[in-house]
Order: sequence, then structure tokens, then C-alpha cells
Amino acid sequence: MATFLTRRIIQMFVVLIASALVSFGLLYIAPGGPMSGLRQGQNSGRNKISNDDILRIKERFELDLYLPYRFSRWLIGFPSGPISIAGKSFLGNAVVGCAIPGQARLRYPDGHTEMIEDGCQKPVTFADLVDRRTSRGILFGDFGLSQVILRDRPIATLIASRLPYTLQLMGVSSLIALLIGVPLGVYSAVRQYSRFDYTMTTISFIGSSIPTFVIGIICILIFAIAAKEAGLPYLPPGNAIANSDYVIPFIGNVVAESSLDRFLHFVMPCSVLVFVNIAGYSRFIRSGMLEVLRLDYVRTARAKGLQERTVVLKHALRNAMLPFITIMAGVLAELFGGAAITESIFNWPGLGRLLVDSIGRNDYSVSMALTMVSIFLLLIGYLITDILYSILDPRIRLS
Amino acid sequence: MTIPTARPASQSELIWRRFRKHTVAMVCLGILITIYAASMLAPWIAPYPRDAISLGNAYSTPFHNAADGSYHFFGTDHLGRDLFTRLIYAARVSLTTALTVVTASTIIGVVIGLVAGYFGGWIDNLVTRFIEFISTFPTFTLLLIASAIVIQSSEVIPIPAFVSYVIGAVMAISDREANQVVLIITIFIILGWTGVARFVRGMVLSIREQQYIESARALGASHLYNMLTHVLPNALPPIIISYTLGLSGTLVAESGLSFLGFGIQDPTPSWGNMLSFANSYMFSYPWMPLVPAFPILVCSLAINYIGDGLRDALDPRVQTEIRRATRDAQLAAIRERSKPKS
Repeated sequence: MATFLTRRIIQMFVVLIASALVSFGLLYIAPGGPMSGLRQGQNSGRNKISNDDILRIKERFELDLYLPYRFSRWLIGFPSGPISIAGKSFLGNAVVGCAIPGQARLRYPDGHTEMIEDGCQKPVTFADLVDRRTSRGILFGDFGLSQVILRDRPIATLIASRLPYTLQLMGVSSLIALLIGVPLGVYSAVRQYSRFDYTMTTISFIGSSIPTFVIGIICILIFAIAAKEAGLPYLPPGNAIANSDYVIPFIGNVVAESSLDRFLHFVMPCSVLVFVNIAGYSRFIRSGMLEVLRLDYVRTARAKGLQERTVVLKHALRNAMLPFITIMAGVLAELFGGAAITESIFNWPGLGRLLVDSIGRNDYSVSMALTMVSIFLLLIGYLITDILYSILDPRIRLS
Repeated sequence: MTIPTARPASQSELIWRRFRKHTVAMVCLGILITIYAASMLAPWIAPYPRDAISLGNAYSTPFHNAADGSYHFFGTDHLGRDLFTRLIYAARVSLTTALTVVTASTIIGVVIGLVAGYFGGWIDNLVTRFIEFISTFPTFTLLLIASAIVIQSSEVIPIPAFVSYVIGAVMAISDREANQVVLIITIFIILGWTGVARFVRGMVLSIREQQYIESARALGASHLYNMLTHVLPNALPPIIISYTLGLSGTLVAESGLSFLGFGIQDPTPSWGNMLSFANSYMFSYPWMPLVPAFPILVCSLAINYIGDGLRDALDPRVQTEIRRATRDAQLAAIRERSKPKS
């Protein structure tokens, strides 16, 4: 077990670094970023951007550093200045980037000239890095600064302000879906081919084939728009809290930011996720149970005269739950990552929508941070799954 | 006097016979074929040109005459474009995208999975490590990021002219629009083949240990012959099933991506981006999102029902309930994996 764990953790670490490299590289090639849009304003008089401004902005977002240094500073916060060993500093003059690229004028025989970037007028050295804000590195939990959405504020603040909403939405909906979906799946398997089973399988089949954005929009149409038109109690269609008080028929005045207000906003996104998850979970549990219920040891348990309840819950369900664990591997990452589409439909201020926003508005440092955390949690999820599997199923030995 | 002998039914005939018994699946197949055929006949069926804007007629209600007396079957959108027309053209784009993506990624996945599983050794090691690595990425996030990048730089990325010509011709869109769609399709394929490769490899691993493979080798069959005549046909049923499931998965994923604004971009109609526009006007015009939501709903349900019917038809070995349950569990796992993150 100890060797397995060490090996897995080393493996995880390698995968994490590799995926950091990939996501950094992917977003590095992406167009846009903090420099785009600045130059459009260049000629408009008062807001004219000087070369010093550009230098400052480049420095702020480290755009003047060479790619490997940017990556390592982003990942582990190194180098943050000259390397000092025993009081002496080394490499103070080593070049790590270029603040002002050199320009060369090419003159063609036909008289036309072209400026190209060539060499470097003002290099950035290790010594220059001392004065800069250096992130401690994303591996150590410092995500750096947001570039667009909350310009110049730490990404950690941004994430912290969204995290409670995502945890609330994903946590509650997964829990409810588990508490309803598993019993439904078990019952449906035990009563196979009954009317209940047919209804259940049809509903969950439909539930798992309709995309969430369609369900979400139909829910808003029915429970928010149509209900409001009809003068019935309706649900607020978006956001997590209201800006001002509002009146709902039969319920009365709802004070903004009260717990009732929060609850009303929470109901729809949560129910959509619950519905979709119940459909998935109950199908999975049902088929797992059907497989197990026909095995010999279940017959033996029945033959011993055990109560049907004990047979189903203690003997069959425990084994049927095993494959279910693999599905749960992603849950940790999902709790954090949120549901991008559902959150977007209901305007829920969670991390899923933050991801969509950050990609849409070219705030790449935010999307990189979110991707990295998701990957990390996914890897942790896989590890936990493997360990749980070996604990719950003694036939599997980790080696 | 000759005795009439019954020609033994071929495998595909048997499958077709079994599939035909599944009424719902047959109806769904009919619906799907009708929709796709109609979309292919779009220039003749559609009452208006695709991007024709009728000024002053924006947001006209379905089944009513518009302000100037013209009739728009499903109403018009925020620019006054006829929704029914765009719906038909969008079917062409969305369904062809899904078909191309799933076909290409299935072919790539099957080839790689087949080779990796059959030969084993370092090829297998390389492929599995690579697939494991890819699967540590949250797929939908990667899809979002990649398509956001690609859309913004679609003018810069070189695409073979004949590819965008073919796609453009099939989808009835201009070459410029086709470039974008080709890029989106490519991203889906790059991220999509790993799932197929993984399970094909798993199946081939068990098939290649069968004795008939060994005896074929003993009789002098080449590896290629063995792979194509013995291994592949035995691995075919689940491949076909995963193909249908992948079809609805991709359709939904592409719609979701376009819904969020990262998929197929506006002048090119797709059900997803139509829904996304309708979504922002739904409080004033509640009927609007229903128009594109309906075909997404119908197609994804229909494809899933066809998958269900195929599953029953394809696997003659599976008669007993135990087998059926095992298969259900596996399929649920495949489905769970191929489902985009909600």
C-alpha cells in the first residue's frame, strides 16, 4: 500500500506538471490578453498610451519575460531575483526577457522599407525581477492576478467570492440526487418489469438524453415566465440573490438577500441538476443491481432464510455500489468546477460561469487557474477512488 | 422436382429483422432521416433565403402574419430572419457536424485501439499512457478553451481548401464559415477519439486470446487479415452502439458549446447558437427558445432510442438477463463518460 501510494503520488505529480505545461501552452497561443484593445485607444488624445505605459503593463503581466521563465514563475514562483548562495548573489546579469524589442529597418531595392523586430534594446535581467510582485507559484496555491474580470486583483479573491455558490449548488444537488437516485434505482431493479420500473426507466432515459440547457430553459419558461403571467407563485429565473424586494403571489413580500430570497433563487438550478443526476445515478444503480441480484451468493443468502430487505440492502447493494465509485471520482472536481451550462442559464454566480466568462473575455490567468485546480482535484479523485475500491473490494489488491 | 431451399439469412439481415421489431427505434429512425433529408433539401423547402433580413419584422410571432403581411411559420428572430428557414439550415450544420465528428473519431479510435490491443507491447503502452493523460483533463473545459482560441484565430490557421470546400458544400455554407466549422470539428475529433480507442483496446485484448485467432495464425493468416476478418467483426456491436451514443453526445455538446458562444458563430446557423440568441430574448418572447429547443430535444431522444434498439438487435449472444445487465452497466459507463459536463 505504501509503495502504491508513493508511486501514485509521484505519477500524479508528473501528470500535474505535464498538464500545467499543456494548459499554459494552450493559453499562451491564445489571442487577446491584457495588451489587446490598448492600442486602439492610442490616438485618442487624453487617453493616449505612452511607451512607458506599455512597458509598465507588460511588466505587470510579465509579458516581457521569455516563455520558460514565465512558465516557471507561474508554476513555482521561481526565479524571483538573483540566486543567492551564502550571501553572494549569482546570475544578476543573466537575461530572462526583453522589455523593448530592438527594431531593424529593412530597405528593399524597390524603395519600400519594412520594420522587423530584431535583437533586444532593453533586456530584463534577474536583478530586475527583485522589485516585481512574484507569485508564490500556482503549485503552492498562489494563482496570480486576474487580467480582465477583476483587473489587478488576486484570482484567489475572485475564486473565493464564487466558490460558496458553486459548493452550495453542486453539493446540495449531488446529495439530493444520490439520496433519491440510489433508492429509486434499487427499487426499480428489485421490481424489474413492474409498472414502476417501466415508468422509472423511461423517465430516466429521457432525463439522461435531454441536455441541461434545454431542461433549464423549459423550466424558466414554465416556472418563471408562464407562472408569473398566470398570477401563480413563480420562481426567480436567474441570479443567486435579488437586487430589490419583490412580491410573489400567495407567499407575499420577499426581502432581497433574505434566506427565503436565496432559497427561491436556488430552487430551479438545483432541481435541474438533481433531475439530470437522478436519471444518471438511478440507471447506473439499476443495471448494477440487476447484475448482482442474479448471482449465486444472493440466492444463497435467500436460501439461508434472510429477510429480503437484508438480502437486497446488505448483500446485493454493497456489491452493486462498487462500479458506482468510479463515477464518483469526478465528483470532487465537479463540486469545484461547477456546472458551466446550468450556471450560465440561471446566471448563477459560480465557478462554472466564471470559467465561461474568463474564456469569453480572454482572462487567461483565471481560466488557467481554474483548469489547474480542476485537474488537481480530478487526480485526487482518481486516487481516492482507487484506495476506496481496494478497501471495499478485498479482491482488488493495490500494487 | 427441386426442393425450395431457404437461403440462410445473413448476419446483417438478422440484425435488421431484430431492429425492425423495436417500434420506437424504427419511428425515431424515420424521424431522424426525415429531418436530415429535409435539411439537405433546404434550398427548395425553406421559404426564405437563409440570412434574409426582413426589416421591421423582427420578433414576429409564429403562425401569424407579420407586420407587413408576410407569413413566417415559426416567427422571426431579433434581426427579422425567418426562424423556420434557419432551423432547416441549422439542422444541416448541426447534424453534419455531429456525423463528421463521430465518424472520424470512431475510425481513428478503432484503428488505434485495434493496433494497440492487438500488438500490445510498447505501442499499447504509449497509447494507454497518452489516453490516460488526456483523460485527466476536464473535457468540456478543454473544449471551451480550445474552441475559444480557434474561433478567434480562424483567419490565421491554414485549412486545406478542399476540406472546407467539401464541408461548405455539404452544409450549404460559405468557405469562410466552413473554415470555422472545420476547426470546431477538428477539436471535437482530437478530444473524442480517446474514449473509443480505450474501449476497443479493452475488447481486442480479450478477443486476441481466443483460440480462433491462434488457429488462423497457425494457418498462415497475416496480422492484418486477422485484425480485419476476425478481431474487428467481433468487436463491432459495441462500436456501433458507442457510435450512436457518441452521435447524440456530440450533438448535445456542440449545441452546448454554441449555446455558450464558443461553438459555431452566428451567421452560420446551428441549433445551439439559435437557442443562445433566443435565450436572451425569452422574457419578452417566450415562444422563441422553444423553436430551436424542440429539434435538439427530438434528435437527441431519437438517436438515443435508436441506440437502444440497435443494442437489442446487435447482440444475439445476449439473451439472458445477466448478460443484458452487464451490458447495461458497461453502456451506462460509456454514456456517463461521453456525456458532456452538465
